Amino acid sequence: MSENNNTVPKVQRVIAILWPSFIVSGIATILFFTAFDPNEIIGCVGGWDISRMGYYSIGFFLFWLLTSANSVLTCYFLKPCAVNQKK
Amino acid sequence: MTEKQTQNVEVTPVEEVYAKRKKIFPRQVTGLFASFRFSGVLILLGVYYFGPLIQWDNRQAILFDLPARKFYIFDWIFWPQDFIYLAALLIIAAIALFLVTALAGRVWCGYACPQTVWTEAFLWIERKVEGSRAKQIKLEKAGWSWGKFRLKFTKHFLWLALSFITGFVFVGWFTPINELMDRTLSFELGPWEAFWIFFYGFATYGNAGWMREQVCLYMCPYARFQAAMFDKNTLVISYDEKRGEPRGSRKKGSDYVKDGKGACVDCSLCVQVCPTGIDIRDGLQYQCIGCAACVDVCNEVMDKMGYEPNLVSYTTENALNGKKESLFRPRVIVYVLLLSVMSVALFASIAQRIPLGVDVIRDRNSLYRETDEGMIENVYTLKIMNMDLKNHRYSLAVGGVEGLTVKKPKKGIMVDAGTVLNYPIRVQVDPDKLKTSSTELTFYLNALDSDKLSIEVDGRFLGPVYK
Repeated sequence: MSENNNTVPKVQRVIAILWPSFIVSGIATILFFTAFDPNEIIGCVGGWDISRMGYYSIGFFLFWLLTSANSVLTCYFLKPCAVNQKK
Repeated sequence: MTEKQTQNVEVTPVEEVYAKRKKIFPRQVTGLFASFRFSGVLILLGVYYFGPLIQWDNRQAILFDLPARKFYIFDWIFWPQDFIYLAALLIIAAIALFLVTALAGRVWCGYACPQTVWTEAFLWIERKVEGSRAKQIKLEKAGWSWGKFRLKFTKHFLWLALSFITGFVFVGWFTPINELMDRTLSFELGPWEAFWIFFYGFATYGNAGWMREQVCLYMCPYARFQAAMFDKNTLVISYDEKRGEPRGSRKKGSDYVKDGKGACVDCSLCVQVCPTGIDIRDGLQYQCIGCAACVDVCNEVMDKMGYEPNLVSYTTENALNGKKESLFRPRVIVYVLLLSVMSVALFASIAQRIPLGVDVIRDRNSLYRETDEGMIENVYTLKIMNMDLKNHRYSLAVGGVEGLTVKKPKKGIMVDAGTVLNYPIRVQVDPDKLKTSSTELTFYLNALDSDKLSIEVDGRFLGPVYK
C-alpha cells in the first residue's frame, strides 16, 4: 500500500482530498440551508448584513473546509504506523 | 494504460494536472450512434441554455430561486418545507439511472452526462479551429510559432467564451435571468453572483477542455459503482473476439478465412476514436463510457471491406456466448416496481399538496400570564405561509381546552400569494379547566374561498395547576 502511495502524484492526492469533500459539502449545504434560513438566523443571533446568496456561499466554503479536514485526517491515518510496517 | 493498448495510437505524453497521462485526441466519428449523441447534445444543451428564458405568467417558468428560497416549476411553487419532494425526485432519478444501467449499460455516460455533452461541444470547437485528429497531433508536436499560437489562442478564447456563457446560464437557473442579464450588462453584478459565474465557468473550461476523460476515470463516483448494476444481460459494447481474431491487415477482397485470419483488419480506428483512449478489443474495461464511437467506426470499416457489420457492437455477455437473453430479470423487475411506486407516490402527493403551511411559535418571553380577570393567557405567533399562487383570506379556530377564548379577526386573516404572515394571537383559558401544566391545543386554519385549503397544527398551552 505504501509503495503504491509513492507512485501516486502529490497533486492527485490533493485532489483526492478536495474533490470528495466538495461533493459532500455541496450536499451538506443544501440540507443545512433547506432547514435554516440565513436571514432568520441573523435575526436571532446577529451577523453581517449580506445577501442570502452570500451566506449560502460562505456556508458552502465552511462546510468544504470541515469536510476536507475530515479527508485530510482519513488520508493521514491511512498511512501505516511505524510499528506495523513490514519490510 | 498498457503498452499493448496504445501501440497503434500516436500520442504525445503530457504532464497533466490530475495524473500523468497520454493526451488523447479522439478522432471524429460519424454513424448511427454518433448521430444519437449529436442530437442528444443539441437537445440537452438547448434545454440548458434556453430553459431559463422560457416565460410563464410573467415570470421565469423554471426558476430555483435560491435568494428568495422558492422553486418555481411552471404552476408549482415549492418552499423549503417541500424538501421531501426534492428528495423523492432525486431517489426516483437514482432508481431510473439504475434501471437504465441494468438494461443498457452506460448510456448515461455515453450520451447524457454533462461531462460528455460539454466535452463534445468543446471537441467540436477544437476541430473547427485546429482541424482533424491528424492535424491536432501535428500541431501538438510542432514547436511554437505564430500560427500555432494563433490557433491555440482562438481555441482557448472560444472555450472560455462558451464556459462563461455556461456559468452565466447556470446562475440564471437560480436567480432571475433577465435581472441577472441587466446587472451583467451594466456591470452591477453582486459579488456572489459574479463569483459563481466565474467558478462554474472555470469548472466547465477545466473539465470539458482539459480534464475530459480523467473526470470519468478518477472523479466520477458513478463510474466506479456502475458495474454493480451490470449482469450478463446488460447491453455492453463488446468486440466479438471469436469472429475478429486473429486480427491482421489484408488486401481488400482477399479470402481472410483461407489466410487463417479473423474479421478484424487491425486498422486501429476503434482506438483512435475512443475518448478514453482504450482498446475495446482487450475486453470490457471500466474506462469504457459506452459512447459506441468504436461501433460506428468499425461498422464503417466492415462496410468498406464488404464484411458483416457489428464486429464491435452493443451486445450482451449472454448473446456473445450464444446463451439465451432475457429482458425481465428480477433486478429489472425490482427497479421497475420501485420506480413506478415512487413516481406514483410523488405525483399523487404533489397533486394533493395543500399550499398552506402554519408554524405555531410560542412567545419566548413568558410561559404564561394571568390576566386581571383571573384567566391564564398564552401568546403565540402563527407563521402562516400561503404557498398558493392566489391571495387568500383564512378563518382561524383554536380547540383543545373547554371554554378557551381567543380574539379572532372578524374578516379572517389575509395572506398574499407566496408570502409568510406573522400573526400574533392570545389564547385565554379558565385555570379551573386546566388539568395539567401543559395541554395540547389545536389550531385550525381554513381558507374562506376554498374548502380544500385547510390545515390543523398542534401547539402547547402552559399554565399553573392549582388542584
